[in-house]
Formats: sequence, structure tokens, C-alpha cells
Amino acid sequence: MKLKKVLALTLASAMTFSLAACGGAPSQAAPGAAEEAGKEEAAEDTAAEEEDEAADTADAAEESAVPSYTQLDLSKYADTQATIKFLHHKTDRAEDGTMDKMVAAFNTEFPGITVEMEAVTDYAEDSLLRLSTGDWGDIMFIPAVDKSDLSDYFMPFDTLENLSAELNFVDNWEFGGNCYGIPYMANAQGVLYNKAVFKDAGITELPKTPTEFLDDLKLIKDKTDAIPLYTNYAAGWTMGAWDAYIGIVSNGDDTYINQKFVHTAEPFKDPGDDTGIYNLYRILYDAVANGLIEDDYTTTDWESCKGMLNRGEIGTMVLGSWAYAQMQEAGDTPENVGYMPFPMTVGGTQYVAAGGDYNYCINVNSSDENKLASMIFVKWMVEKSDWCYNEGGYTVVKGGKNPEMYAAFDGCTVLSDQPAKSGEETYLNDMNAESELSFNAGGNDKVQRIVEAAATGSETLDDIYADWTQKWNDAQEELGITADN
Amino acid sequence: MSTPANAAVRKNKRSFPEWLRSRDGQKVLVMMAFLIIPMVLLMVFTYIPFAEMVRYSFYNMKYVGARKFVGMKNYIKVFSRKDCFGALKLSLYYMGGSVVQLSLALYLATILSFKVKGGSLFKGFMFFPFLINGIAIGFIFKFFYTRGFVFDTVLQWCGFSLDNLPYWLKDRSINNISLVGTSVWRYFGQNMVLFIGAIMSVDNELYEAAMLDGANRFQQFKYIILPSIKTIFVLNVILSISGSLSAFEPPYVITDGANGTGTYFVIMHQIAHTQQKVGLASAMAVVLLLIIFTVTILQKLFFKYVFKDSVE
Repeated sequence: MKLKKVLALTLASAMTFSLAACGGAPSQAAPGAAEEAGKEEAAEDTAAEEEDEAADTADAAEESAVPSYTQLDLSKYADTQATIKFLHHKTDRAEDGTMDKMVAAFNTEFPGITVEMEAVTDYAEDSLLRLSTGDWGDIMFIPAVDKSDLSDYFMPFDTLENLSAELNFVDNWEFGGNCYGIPYMANAQGVLYNKAVFKDAGITELPKTPTEFLDDLKLIKDKTDAIPLYTNYAAGWTMGAWDAYIGIVSNGDDTYINQKFVHTAEPFKDPGDDTGIYNLYRILYDAVANGLIEDDYTTTDWESCKGMLNRGEIGTMVLGSWAYAQMQEAGDTPENVGYMPFPMTVGGTQYVAAGGDYNYCINVNSSDENKLASMIFVKWMVEKSDWCYNEGGYTVVKGGKNPEMYAAFDGCTVLSDQPAKSGEETYLNDMNAESELSFNAGGNDKVQRIVEAAATGSETLDDIYADWTQKWNDAQEELGITADN
Repeated sequence: MSTPANAAVRKNKRSFPEWLRSRDGQKVLVMMAFLIIPMVLLMVFTYIPFAEMVRYSFYNMKYVGARKFVGMKNYIKVFSRKDCFGALKLSLYYMGGSVVQLSLALYLATILSFKVKGGSLFKGFMFFPFLINGIAIGFIFKFFYTRGFVFDTVLQWCGFSLDNLPYWLKDRSINNISLVGTSVWRYFGQNMVLFIGAIMSVDNELYEAAMLDGANRFQQFKYIILPSIKTIFVLNVILSISGSLSAFEPPYVITDGANGTGTYFVIMHQIAHTQQKVGLASAMAVVLLLIIFTVTILQKLFFKYVFKDSVE
């Protein structure tokens, strides 16, 4: 009897104890989902730090402040010791070994810096969650955060003034004069096409206006078996890609999207000269209405469309230049994949918008040693890794070489979007969220709606624009943003 | 046994450690020790997050960044926006689907609970879809419905010509029915197995007695089987209805909610993740919860009324 009682008590107490551990754990686990992974790293970190301190006590005084990007002289830091972690979205490049090769090359110059990498599949969403937990490593690609919050999360690389003298497209994540992000590569916005299909259809000169483009699509339909314009409707984000042509391409104004767009009362008005946002989406609407797209747009498949474009079963696709390399790799006729400027001419000039892809950033809460190592790694990746060139990207380093695919862009004016005016940095994000049109921010459903409306005839393009204008104006009113004509 | 009054007197005399060592104290202690584990798990993983969500629904907030208290504004928006409640209309399709699903399941369960050749094999085949992951089912059906792929090919074998066949996902008059079809396909096997389990528990002698009285199969079903499986039947109906109010996987995976197939959950997901209006999405979730409460209570009352006879 007594034995049983003792047993029961021990059991009960054991349980309560295990519970205390259990109850405590979730609240601690919340800030760090990947805590276990982090612990190991932290242990290595401290080890590295100790070594560091022992070795570099003399340098410590100099190094206490991390040099800015432009001040950093890579050749002076070859013996830097640190372990840094890099969170990125390039799962494909992690699988095919490109990332490892680049890090190996980096380590021949900086053997003391260990770079751990983690590739995240659903980066846009997951990275935000990781960011809010604070436990994500030292370097990541900036997800969709508000510019006013940048300094809470990331460390500035340099001032915009210094950085823009050496690099292109660094103003995406500028706030208060400081740059928090540097793009790993840049994209130019144009149109993918199949050269053989264009030849078969008898198109000798690339189209320069929406009307010419629609005529060419008609030619492709009449003279070849290829799908003139593949919408990629089902994938969703491929439709949102149409937003990238607003601004520089649609009206030749590099201040439009970040400064004037939010203040425009009627952004979707027809300017009457085959330009503007109105005619940008008119291409899509008219192409769908005239049957110039795939037969069943609801069952399109992103993976198989790459091969179809390569083989000449698809005439054109409206996507950024990043897609070019993938289309080439997807079949046996990479030489037929071409890239042309968007068919829109503003005042006699075709404008090309080029801008940074995802941007590197450095954790503001990392130790100084890690910040320095991260700065070295980012600078090396940007200037010495050739990653941008290999991905077919538009050069990030000023005066760097561009891949051949941009040959058709000769004679076009290449611009990149100017940042928002100070004090208005969050306006576009706010307007996007409030109006739910989400231009360049995942507003795929609004472009899909154009396809649906054109295919079923349920709405005219003017109906849609009227609705968008209404939402835009309501959002302007709600947020107190002035609208002028 | 001591009377409660006695116990109270004695309790007053005992000190706390003494009471803890007594039989009553031990009982309470053991009970607490065992209860506290599930209670803590339930609180930490269900009720505290839920309370947080309810709190979020009163804020204008994103996942990161500042939060602003806005009172009932989010709730007013849920009721005034066209897309939020418009999406609930799609639930009617899924409810219609659940009627088909339950009748099919009940019919097959009744047949299979009698002696049928290869009965277990059929049961296995029909239950199998429930075991497949919902996302995988989405991908299967995406290709199944693609123009000229599986479904169209099979129908062509049956003599249909491709030109007369509709576009299963493009045509807005039937695309929701196509999607409901996938969820019926997935869940009817599970309902069937639950029904069979309940039917098995019916005493065989009842059938014999009914047969002696000259009752046919349908009468047996109506007067013996249906009343005996009442509880499981009601449970299945409630699960199906609340399931159709919260349909998510088929439209999310197959069409991404485009082309008029965005159910309440898909719209909520878009608002929460694309537009990042976390407060509004939380409010939508709370409203949906209240709707499901209401519907469930109404159903309970309804079945109470319907099965009144059999209870008496």
C-alpha cells in the first residue's frame, strides 16, 4: 500500500515537473522556430568569436565599427574569422550546386569565413515570419517590409550617395538617405518570344506599339500553330508580372511608380497615343477577346510552358528577363528563345525598366564580427561572384558587362525607378494594401480578372478600369493622400 | 463513509499537508496531475492563439510593423464588402455536394453492410481517396480537368466528342461543380466507412424478425437501420456542413481561387497574406466561427425535431 502511494506521488510529481518544462517550452519556442538549428550555430559562433578576440585584440579598436560598403577594401580582410548564415530563396541554385561553388570560390579568398546557407521554398511568406521571430541568421534577401521598419531589422550598407556611385539599382530599399539592400542581380522588363515562330509568321521587325504587337499576334495565329500569347493564368504570379511595365515602360517617367502614381486621380485613363497603363492591359484584354491566347487558360502549367516556348509552341510570354535562362534550359533549341523590349513607344522612344531583384541585407542585431564578415561576403558576391551575369541579369555593378540577350535593347532608354519622396516611402505599400490592387505586390487576381472578363465578355475593359479607379480614389481618401490630375 | 458535514469538520481540524496525504487529498492531487497536461496543451495551442486572433481582429495591422486599434471597423468591413459574403454563396455548391456525398455514402454503406462479393475490396477502394493528401488530390485533379487530358479522354471513349464537352475549370457555370466533385470523391469513402461501422452494430435478430413480419429491404432500412445510426448520421451531416462552409483545398490548389471559385477561406487567405490585412482576416475568421456555431445549433434543433418520433 505504502509503496503504491510513494509510486503514485513520484509519478505525479514527475508529471508536474515534465509539465513545467512543457509549459515553459512553447513560450520560448515562439520567438525561435528554428532554435535548435540556431543553437549549434550559436555555439560555433561563440567559439569563433573567442578565437577572434584572442587573435585580433590589436585590431579590435579599429574594427569596432564595421566599415561601410564603399570603404570596405576586400584585400585587407583576407584573414577574417567568422561563421555567418545566409537565408535565401534560390532553392534551384542550392540543388544544382551553384551556391556551394560560389561559397567555395569565396573561401579560397576568405578561408576564415564559414558561410552556412538555408534555402527557403516559399520565401515571400516564410521569410516574413522568420524575420518577425528575429532568428534568421546574418544575411537574407529583404522580404516585403515597410521601408520605415528597415532600420529595425537591417544594417545600412552605406549612404545612397556613396553607393549609387558604384552600383546600379540600390535605391529600392533606401530610407532616410541610407541603403539597406543591394540587389544580387537586376532584371530588365521586356517580352519573351520565340524567334522561329516570329520568322514563320513573317514578322521581320519587332513590334514597337501595342497595336503592332496585337497585329503580330494575329499573324502568328493565322500563319503558325503556335499559341500567340501564353498568359500563364493559372499560376497567378505570372499574371501579376504585367504590373512591372507600369511607369517607365508605360510613360517613360522613372518617378511615376514610386512618386506620382499614388497621387494620380485617374491613373487608368486612356492617354490616346497607345501608351499608358490603359494600353498596357489593353494588350492582354484584346488578345484574350480575339482568341490570341491558349485555349483553356485555367489549366495552364508553369513548368511545361518553358519547354513549349523553347520548342516554338508558344509565340510570346510577358515576363521579366530572369525567366530567359530558364526558357533556354528547358529544351533543345535555346537559340530560338529571344527577348525584346516591351512593345510600347512613348514620344518616339522605347523605354526599358530595369530594377534590382531580391536585395541582400544584413541583420542589425548580429555581432560586429558577423556584420563585418557579412559585409565582406555581400561585397564579394556582388562584385566578384559573376552570379548576376550567369543568371542573365542586367549588371548591378556600374559599367559591368551585360549578357548577350540584351542585344535587342540597343537604342532603348534603360531607366530604373526613382525612390519615393522622403516622408512618402510607405505610400505605395499603403495604397496597394488599402485598395487591394497590389501593383507589383502580388495583385494577381486583378490581372486574372481582365482575362476572365475578356474571355466571357462579362465586363468591358472600361468597366474594370472604372472599378480600379474607384478603389484607388477610395484608398487615397482613406489614407489622406492628395490626388491631382 | 463519512457524511459531508463530518468531513468538513475533520477537514477544518487537519492541516494542509495532512489533508494532502488523506484519501481525498490524494484523489484531488492525482486528478489535477492528470488533467493539467491536456489542459495546458489545450490552452497553449488552442485557446491562447484563438484569443490572440480575436484581439487582432480589432486592429489594423500587418504581420510586421505597427498596429492600430480600430474597434469594430474590421467587422463592419466583413459585412459590407462584396467579396467576403459573396464567397459564402459558393458554400451552397459545397453543401449541395455534401448532400450527394452523404446519400451516396449511406446507400453504398447499406449495400456493403449486407453480404456482398468482394465487399472488403470495394470498401478499400472507396476509402482510399481519403488517405491521399489534399494537396496531391488538387494536383491530380488539375490535370484530370485539363482540356483533352484524363477526364475528356475517358468521356471520349464513352462516345462524347471533344467539341461538345465543356471546359471544366474555365466555364464559370460548372467550374465550382467540378471542384465540389473532387471533394465528394475524397470524402464519401470516409463517410461510408463510418456508416458501415454504425450499421454493423445493429442486432441481426432485428432483421430476421422484420423479415418474418414481411418487411422488405427498404422498410428494413427505414425502420431499423436509419434510427439506429442516427447519432453517426447527424455527426456526419454536421461535419459536412461545417466542412462546406470552410472549403479550402480544392479551390486553393486547383484554381488558386481565380475565375469565381474563391471560397470564404481562399478569400481570407488572400486578404491575410497578399493584402496583409491581418486584422480584417481575423475578423473574417471570427465571423465564420459564429456562422458555423449558428448553423450547428440550427441543425441540432432540426434533427431533434425530425427524429422525435423514433426517440419516442
